[in-house]
Amino acid sequence: MSDVTPPNTRIVIGIDLGTTNSLAAVRAGSVPHVLRDQGADPLTPSMVTFHPDGRVLVGATAKAMRLEHPDRTVFSVKRLIGRSASESQSDTADLPYSVIANDRDLPRIKIDEDELSPEAISSLVLKEIKSTAEQALGHAVHEAVVTVPAWFDDAQRQATKDAAELAGLDCLRILNEPTAAALAYGLDGKNDGTVLVYDLGGGTFDISILRIHEGIFRVLATAGDTHLGGDDFDQLLVQRILNLLPSKEGTEDAYVLQAVRSSAEGLKMRLSDQEQATLELDLGDRGKIEMTVTRAEFEASIAPLVQRTLDCVKSAAKDAGLELQNIDDIVLVGGSTRIPLVRNRLEAATGKTPHTDVDPDLAVALGAAIQADILAGNDKSLLLLDVIPLSLGIETLGGTVQKLILRNSTIPTSVSEEFSTGVDDQNAVDLAIYQGERELAKDCRLLGQFKLRGIPPMPAGLPRILVTFLVDADGVLRVTAREQRTGVEASIQIVPTFGLTREEVRRMMIDSIENAQEDYIAREAIEARAKAEAMVRGTKKALTMAVLPPDQTFAVHKAVKALQKLLDANAEPDDLKSASDDLTKVTATIADDVISAAVTKSLKEDQLP
Amino acid sequence: MIHVPAPDAFAVFGIARTLDLDESELELRYLKLSRDCHPDHNRTQTSNDCVAVLQRSAEINDAWNVLRDPWRRARALLEAESEGVLARNKKLDPMFLMEALELAEEVARSDSDDQNTLSTKLNAAIEADYQALRADVANSDFDAAAKRVHQSHYHLKALHDLEAKS
Repeated sequence: MSDVTPPNTRIVIGIDLGTTNSLAAVRAGSVPHVLRDQGADPLTPSMVTFHPDGRVLVGATAKAMRLEHPDRTVFSVKRLIGRSASESQSDTADLPYSVIANDRDLPRIKIDEDELSPEAISSLVLKEIKSTAEQALGHAVHEAVVTVPAWFDDAQRQATKDAAELAGLDCLRILNEPTAAALAYGLDGKNDGTVLVYDLGGGTFDISILRIHEGIFRVLATAGDTHLGGDDFDQLLVQRILNLLPSKEGTEDAYVLQAVRSSAEGLKMRLSDQEQATLELDLGDRGKIEMTVTRAEFEASIAPLVQRTLDCVKSAAKDAGLELQNIDDIVLVGGSTRIPLVRNRLEAATGKTPHTDVDPDLAVALGAAIQADILAGNDKSLLLLDVIPLSLGIETLGGTVQKLILRNSTIPTSVSEEFSTGVDDQNAVDLAIYQGERELAKDCRLLGQFKLRGIPPMPAGLPRILVTFLVDADGVLRVTAREQRTGVEASIQIVPTFGLTREEVRRMMIDSIENAQEDYIAREAIEARAKAEAMVRGTKKALTMAVLPPDQTFAVHKAVKALQKLLDANAEPDDLKSASDDLTKVTATIADDVISAAVTKSLKEDQLP
Repeated sequence: MIHVPAPDAFAVFGIARTLDLDESELELRYLKLSRDCHPDHNRTQTSNDCVAVLQRSAEINDAWNVLRDPWRRARALLEAESEGVLARNKKLDPMFLMEALELAEEVARSDSDDQNTLSTKLNAAIEADYQALRADVANSDFDAAAKRVHQSHYHLKALHDLEAKS
């Protein structure tokens, strides 16, 4: 293949780092192709075996060892990467190898005395992929685009980048998997229009809706279920098989579990082609199992899970401002889209026959190779415009989150806000950045704390600090700040916290829909109270400064007292609002605008985080 | 916290200030600007330039979001023509507010039978708001136009509430 590469062209490969399988592709010339050993399967199992004799086996050779050494064969680390041990506990409970928490509550894979990070395991897989690619290309590879589920959060993306670096690869971009698949699908330019990518893999489910126009791929919306995939279908069959085991002890045995899991996967695959499939499993002294499953039985058990994916499709279409019938084509990605029920249900819901020209197992890697080629500067006719999957906001008064950048905003994107200080000579301001869709900070995930330092000493409220939040083309937030009066650049210290878990993202999405009303009421109550308190304070302060005719002074005092009484009595938001409005009316009639100016100023101060 | 207005979206796109934009032409313009300015096509520059490229690209994306929405477009146009005009014209006619309140109550009370009628009524009101806005802008009466924008907010919110109900 090296012979078709024009000289002096920068080569960047695309890598699909999957939960179960990984592979690489490159675009040399116009069409991308998969990089593989001659005649070998293009998919490399994302598995690593630490053999007792000291060898480290990766890929197909590791997969062959998993029955012999279930406790030393590591797989599915994509479920752990970038998460804390307690967050990923539900995912590690039934793994045949041992996962422990280290002193920072990060998951570590224990093999003998060694404790290995998920990043380290992924880097071994990536090294294998890299070396396969180098053999196929005939030269060294140093740069790559690596794909992740669209719903991966900051920490998970960063951890994936770290794994690439550990493998000796400079990761030019972390690319969303469904978006990558769309690139592979739309490359030839024959498919301009609106396309839905339905990506049901082993562990996660992702959707992207894109508009393709003359080489520009614009993502309109992404959605997904961060904890749904082929493994969940397998698990339903695993339960059925385990129920047939003569002794319950077998269910605790790593060897038995691994054998049952493999045969469940095989059963599932056969049921995509056959109306029924029979399993015969000899577990030695744990007994023998024989069972027959019909496709209808299997479909009935997975139907609720498939329905969940269709609900996601509907919500993504709504976010994109589209009706399902406006979608021109559907692209299927991920091995689980081979299941007939998935295809049939999707076809029934959209009225379109899914497009099957691109191999669902290869599409993501091929698309990553195209983006890699764009970033290498080899093709200016193509461009991908991606979005951020979750809203970003900052915490404001009373613990509510003010959204700064809404989910599904095309990146890069930026927004500027002006902040001031609340006390004299204050030299720092704290900003807490949250990721999520809910109204209250406690229901969103803290992305990081930003501390603005070096504000010149000034009376409270006088500094004007312009803070710009910019999300770059990688989806990474950059914050800059500048004091407007003095031109001093306030420095920003980022205190990172752990990223969101996939489960949390999913839950937060569902919660934001279910709790929209509750959130709105809670937020209104907090805001009504904060506003009323600020008005009382501001008006009282203004009264000491202004000289007013006695009748006006009396009217203002009366309105302030009424509002204060309601505040003391913890009155309903509506009552607070109407009393606040009454006070506004009284102060607004005063010719001298001292009072309203002071009230406004006080309100602004209260907006400080 | 005070929101800092984004740069004039019309200037970012390099087009004349007008309410009447052809949406497909606008989209093509957006795609062309993205092609010219996106950081993925400008990766070989020095780091300072990179920030400038990023800023420009962000401005284009943000301006596109403003221009494609008729009401956000109107707000941007008014601010560009007369800075602070929206803030200066927040006080609305009490008669209008009464009517808006009645509409909101009508929406709150409505059941599924009334919803089509109400939706038609609200859409007509929004369309009328926009036509009036257009006339005000044509007469360069930006204060009146700003009031229309604030008024439309009540109708848009009522429509939003109605849609949320069904």
